[in-house]
Amino acid sequence: MKIVFRIVLVVALAALGVWLWTVLFPNPEKVIRQRLTELARIASFSSNESDLARLAAARSLAGFFSTNVEFQVELPEFARRDSMDRNEITQAAFAVRSRAGGLKVKFPDINVTVVPDKQSAVADLTVEANISGERDPMVQEMKFTLQKIDGRWLITRVETVRTLS
Amino acid sequence: MAQDQAGQSNAGWKQPRLPRWVRIAVIGRNPKVTLVRVAILIVTSFVVFKFILLPAHVEGISMLPNYKDRSWNLVNRFAYLWHEPRRGDVVGIRFSRAVTNTPAGIHQAANWLEPPHVMLLKRIVGLPGETVAFVDGHVLINGEVLDEPYEKYACDWNLPPKELGPDEYFVVGDNRSMSWEEHTFGRAQRSQIVGKAIL
Repeated sequence: MKIVFRIVLVVALAALGVWLWTVLFPNPEKVIRQRLTELARIASFSSNESDLARLAAARSLAGFFSTNVEFQVELPEFARRDSMDRNEITQAAFAVRSRAGGLKVKFPDINVTVVPDKQSAVADLTVEANISGERDPMVQEMKFTLQKIDGRWLITRVETVRTLS
Repeated sequence: MAQDQAGQSNAGWKQPRLPRWVRIAVIGRNPKVTLVRVAILIVTSFVVFKFILLPAHVEGISMLPNYKDRSWNLVNRFAYLWHEPRRGDVVGIRFSRAVTNTPAGIHQAANWLEPPHVMLLKRIVGLPGETVAFVDGHVLINGEVLDEPYEKYACDWNLPPKELGPDEYFVVGDNRSMSWEEHTFGRAQRSQIVGKAIL
């Protein structure tokens, strides 16, 4: 009985240690998933947002990107193939939040591939955007390239992906 | 005296019992067995609807009139375990495919354990190796007109021939009355096909 108790104790302690390790030192994939989920949360907004809240959210959103981000976006009514700095991203995000009535963004399926050196990664994901006043959500497959800069995973490239070629 | 009376009335009080047939109908003859059955039912439902038959809420009009907007369907992930997708099958197609560098086996296992939350619902018209084209709204497979009894709305789409690779299927919605620019269709990789719609 004593041996069984000891074995159970050791197993429990080992499990606790593994759990603590994953909490204190999460793997890059988990960190990236958390950041992208946070990005979706910040990108969402309601119609009754104040100007101050808009600006704070736009700045916060820009903080997820590197100083220079490459965009390769092709949507039915919007196309952009250039790069933007953080200020431009803040301005664009602020403009969108000012004009649109509300937006709810979700990244329901995220696949992250981390390069072996653990300094860059690619996230292939589905963007589901519910625009206030529109009946059907906009669904688009996208690819984000991320790099670890100063200890933080920042988006360096954003591109749309054609699900059916 | 008062205490005695209270004690007597407490001892004499009985919880009202439900009629026997109600108890049998609600919790069964043996509550323990019922509990086990409920647990099995919950676990089975979870496994079936999480990993095998994926509930799909149809949003949009691209599959009209056969699959109505806001209707529900189920996508059977076991449909293609023993045979490959066939022409005319309505399939669920995953959006995000993993651009992973993990081995194929692990990749497939991960796909199985994490089914997609968002899918496209489309019909297969072209099979691997075939050439698909649209001429005056008709689908041409290797130059021959495809009979499509499910297509109810006429269209005038014209698209140049596309040759499918060894692992590619050509999928399109049933509602061709939409302009082709607004319609999502084209080549899908086999790995993107999640399963077959069963309703």
